[in-house]
Amino acid sequence: MRLTFAIGERLEPDLEKYIIESTTEIFETMVFMELQPGKRHMGSDIDMDADIASCIGFGGDIRGLIGVHCPLDVATGITGAMLGMEFDEITDDVKDAIGEIANMIAGGVKTGLTGNNKDIQLAVPSTVCGKSLRIGGPARGSSLVIPFTVDGGTFYVEMRYMLS
Amino acid sequence: MAKNILLVDDSSTMRKIISRSLRQAGLDFGEIFEAGDGLEALEMLEKESVDIVLSDINMPNMNGIEFLREKANRDAIKDIPVFMISTETGEDIIGEAKSLGAAGALKKPFTPDKVSEVLGPLV
Repeated sequence: MRLTFAIGERLEPDLEKYIIESTTEIFETMVFMELQPGKRHMGSDIDMDADIASCIGFGGDIRGLIGVHCPLDVATGITGAMLGMEFDEITDDVKDAIGEIANMIAGGVKTGLTGNNKDIQLAVPSTVCGKSLRIGGPARGSSLVIPFTVDGGTFYVEMRYMLS
Repeated sequence: MAKNILLVDDSSTMRKIISRSLRQAGLDFGEIFEAGDGLEALEMLEKESVDIVLSDINMPNMNGIEFLREKANRDAIKDIPVFMISTETGEDIIGEAKSLGAAGALKKPFTPDKVSEVLGPLV
């Protein structure tokens, strides 16, 4: 238990950096929306207002999940910006787009970890819709949440993880 | 003669973005076909006239590495060039893809300029 906590503390700044850098790059190159990262939150006691969540599991030197949580207006806004169309409800296109955002963020985290001599393997993303969504993660693992504000609201990138 | 392209990605959003990026890059290409995984891609290659494949790596059912391995065993399609477009950028997995015949790799996310720079010589 003490070891997990210590590892979580040590990895936290790097993981935050990887998430912010990869999310910013995705929005600059493929979404074309301005975004502002907020203050990171450690632990699962944060209220994330979301109507859709996409998560991608990973294993290897670190195991866990990376999730993207979006309220309706943000999810439809992001999808519209990516595809050049308007959306006002959660469709298959919106689910797919948020899943791909999660996939690319996870890819950025993987690249960052590789540069830190840690290897992870990514699964394919899964997307779910509904209110008060929560994603699971490894027991006794750490949880890092970073809010991002865009035009239309705030979405959250969550990472639950622990060393294998 | 303009070349036909097969896009292989489990994300329909990504297939649309790659198509748009190819157009925005001003590249001269023919028809664009789409497949959602390696299995669909193999079927498409057997029945359509495809000159270049742009493929993701991390996909359900048959991933990009398995697709390259299976394609290499089929005489009718083994020489069609494949370019990987993926969030996977590690030397190990890209090296494996190249050892199985991949012509190169482009990292997601990407800009239309990057698409033009990397794929222009192929198309």
